[in-house]
Amino acid sequence: MKLLVAVKRVPDPEAKIRVKPDGNSIVTEQLKFVINPFDEIAVEEALRIKEKLGGEVVVLSIGPSEAAEQVRTALAMGADRGVLVKTDGAYADPGIIARALAEVAKQEGFDVLLMGKQAVDTDYGQTCGMLAQILGVPCASFAYKVEVEGESKRLVVVREVDGGLETKLIGMPCIVTADLRLNEPRYASLPGIMKAKKKEIRQISLEELGVEVTPKLRVESLEEPPKRQGGRKVGSVEELVRALHDEAKVI
Amino acid sequence: MPNFIVQERDQRFLLFEVLNVQSLFSHPKFSELSEDVASMVLDEAQKLATEVVYPTLSTGDKEGCRLENGQVYVPKAFHACYRAYCEAAWNSIDISKEAGGQGFPRILGTAVREWFSHNFAFLSYPDLTQGASHLIDGFGSEEQKNKYLPGMVSGKWAGTMCLTEPQAGSDVGALTTKAIRQPDGTFRIKGTKVFITGGDHDLTENIIHPVLARIEGDPAGTKGISLFLVPKFLVNKDGTLGNRNDFEIGKIEEKLGIHGSSTCLINFGDNGECYAELLGNEREGMKIMFLMMNGARLSVGMQGVASASAAYLHALQYAKERLQGTSIERFKDPTAPRVPIIEHPDVRRMLLWMKSHAEAIRALLYFTSFCLDKWETAASEEEGESWRGLVEILTPVCKAFASEAGFQVADMAVQVYGGAGYTQDYPAEQLLRDSRIAPIYEGTNGIQALDLVGRKLAMKSGAYFRGLLEHMGQSLGEFEETPATAEIAKAVRKALGRIEEAAFIFMQASAEGRLVVPLSYAHPFLRMFGTVVCAWLLTWEAAVAAKKLEEAKSAGKALEVGEDKEAAFYQGKLLSARYFATNVLPQVEALFQGIQSQDLSMVEMHEESFA
Ligand SMILES: Cc1cc2nc3c(=O)[nH]c(=O)nc-3n(C[C@H](O)[C@H](O)[C@H](O)COP(=O)(O)OP(=O)(O)OC[C@H]3O[C@@H](n4cnc5c(N)ncnc54)[C@H](O)[C@@H]3O)c2cc1C
Repeated sequence: MKLLVAVKRVPDPEAKIRVKPDGNSIVTEQLKFVINPFDEIAVEEALRIKEKLGGEVVVLSIGPSEAAEQVRTALAMGADRGVLVKTDGAYADPGIIARALAEVAKQEGFDVLLMGKQAVDTDYGQTCGMLAQILGVPCASFAYKVEVEGESKRLVVVREVDGGLETKLIGMPCIVTADLRLNEPRYASLPGIMKAKKKEIRQISLEELGVEVTPKLRVESLEEPPKRQGGRKVGSVEELVRALHDEAKVI
Repeated sequence: MPNFIVQERDQRFLLFEVLNVQSLFSHPKFSELSEDVASMVLDEAQKLATEVVYPTLSTGDKEGCRLENGQVYVPKAFHACYRAYCEAAWNSIDISKEAGGQGFPRILGTAVREWFSHNFAFLSYPDLTQGASHLIDGFGSEEQKNKYLPGMVSGKWAGTMCLTEPQAGSDVGALTTKAIRQPDGTFRIKGTKVFITGGDHDLTENIIHPVLARIEGDPAGTKGISLFLVPKFLVNKDGTLGNRNDFEIGKIEEKLGIHGSSTCLINFGDNGECYAELLGNEREGMKIMFLMMNGARLSVGMQGVASASAAYLHALQYAKERLQGTSIERFKDPTAPRVPIIEHPDVRRMLLWMKSHAEAIRALLYFTSFCLDKWETAASEEEGESWRGLVEILTPVCKAFASEAGFQVADMAVQVYGGAGYTQDYPAEQLLRDSRIAPIYEGTNGIQALDLVGRKLAMKSGAYFRGLLEHMGQSLGEFEETPATAEIAKAVRKALGRIEEAAFIFMQASAEGRLVVPLSYAHPFLRMFGTVVCAWLLTWEAAVAAKKLEEAKSAGKALEVGEDKEAAFYQGKLLSARYFATNVLPQVEALFQGIQSQDLSMVEMHEESFA
């Protein structure tokens, strides 16, 4: 089984995000970054498939040079090697990311390409569909359970849909995006961290891949959410209902 | 997950900017390490600590341990925690590679341990196993190493430390547990041990107990004590488990805190069949124990650091959220908006007291661990000796001073929370209860003070003690040159002089046969000592912080404290050091006056007068 996993470097969801004075990007200095949590779930799933059926897990990331840290973290979890496509300085919209991933995927070849259902920083959730289109392969999104069907080169993917579960059968090669409940990612072990240091991370640039770097999407502006107002204690249910109706106007 | 455990920026600052632990990585033993790898190790420790270990702090406390039909059960949540901890090999981080461990330097073991020590009830199980593994690694025969280490290092088996008996606590030499020699070279153990941490539990399939006992016919006191390995289940030649050994868990203690950690009374050999193997040479049990006790005492000191750090971070968060009263400018205006309590000067006093103490004892523990590595990797014997001297002197200070500060900071956290702090709705009261054990076990702080004054000061004819004073004195010279630290460095130097004077008073009194003077003032001396060493370390940190701020300024950075997190951090270091030097360090003078008086009211007092 050749398994590719795409991981994105995103700000730590716990970190306090501040908007730069230019109004359309965030302050990244002194900000802590992690693997996009949904991508971490995708890495875990790839590792589990490999543990069952053998093969290779290759981690791909499209991002700044520092994204090597996130690739390294996935290697510490147990992935075999990494590829980092550096976008230093460029704004990479989902289209650019999908095209870059497609190029690397073509170079590498794969049975299953896994990724998170969306990145928690931009929440676009676009890359997977675009990538499937470019590569001309099927895609199962929001996977809740993934199983390889016998020897058949087909995947059984269960997805959570409103009010129930949907089971899909898709042929490989294919793309699967991970939902929150697919698995609980493992923690990197100390021996894993030491081994990760020696694993290969191939670094290439967007230009070398021949990917057009002009984004189709432009961020106009970013705003910080309004400051939360302090709450207040109300004396009775009547007062509460009145406040909700007359002041907050929610009922 | 949010982090209420370790002041993570301070941890990295101390490791990589102050101590410069990178210097160790050029040693062949640690050549696989780099700052990047060390940093990744800390990231992963933080992840496991915040996501898996921290959530069991409160559940472990509420559920506690239970003893049923001779078997002890730990809080349910500890099982998953323990598995994750051992699977990732945190349990063997500083065990040698030869023994199957990860072979990391002590300093990284210490830094990682800070992430887990806040939940010491949980950590006690793998931590004691680690201590017992060190013993077997250091003193076991090849056969014993092969038999016991793989299971213990992987976490499949656990270990303990059985010293204390009902009549032999601080005075270990008074122990009466007997070892009876068998024709096949093994022994049978008979006796009762009390207060044994992890004496039994259901986390592992086997537990190996190192037990101090006296072989029949050997002399009384510490010189007649030997060390034995007593497995819960005997281990067959092929590594499988055999019969249950002949000992019973008499009871588990109901305690003030660390409810998730089982504290057991063990009756060994009620049927005369308790199998035991000698570890090391006969009658060298105390010598062996002493050698491993350094590590154990540092790990108890670490509990102090972790308690202080966690208590501070919780209190800080609460102080930013709790609205009460108005700002000082508008205190007369009843319509003025309520402010978070962090705006009140008295709350800030408490927070800065906590912050500076947490950072001071962190520096104390990390510095001492680092000296251990320097000792072990020294290029020459002479260089090794100088580092060893620092370790010997500072170990009892780490144990006692940090454990006391840990409790005091937890106490102050309760105060910052006000009434809420006294309730079980918030973690402050548990941190207070849990941290109270650290000044007691692993040799009470009274015993640590006696070790410092009675043994360590005089070691190598006082050379170790002088070595530490010189080491501090020299670097103070440098800090006196730096404008940002000149004032506090001078204050520390003055206090350092008081340490020398106090030691001289002890020496003279002893020479004149008045041993009772150093015995009565050992603990005040240890407190003086700890305070001065901490002030010195904070001054060192402040000097580094001042330099970083200078560098940033010349690189044209803004350095607005509100905007720039790094600038805010370094400013915080400068103020932490200044506060400690102006508000805590003067206590040295008060303690010194007590010692200088050589007043013996505590000894002259008739027992009847203690009414
Ligand atoms: C929760 C818990 C876990 C423990 N875990 C372990 C364990 O795993 N293994 C183990 O072997 N033990 C363990 N202990 C025992 C612990 O190490 C002892 O309680 C401690 O060493 C003190 O001994 P003691 O309780 O007998 O007190 P005592 O020795 O009776 O001391 C009482 C007081 O007298 C003082 N004192 C005693 N002798 C002197 C002296 N010569 N000079 C000056 N002052 C003196 C002490 O400082 C103390 O303040 C544990 C204890 C607790 C409470």
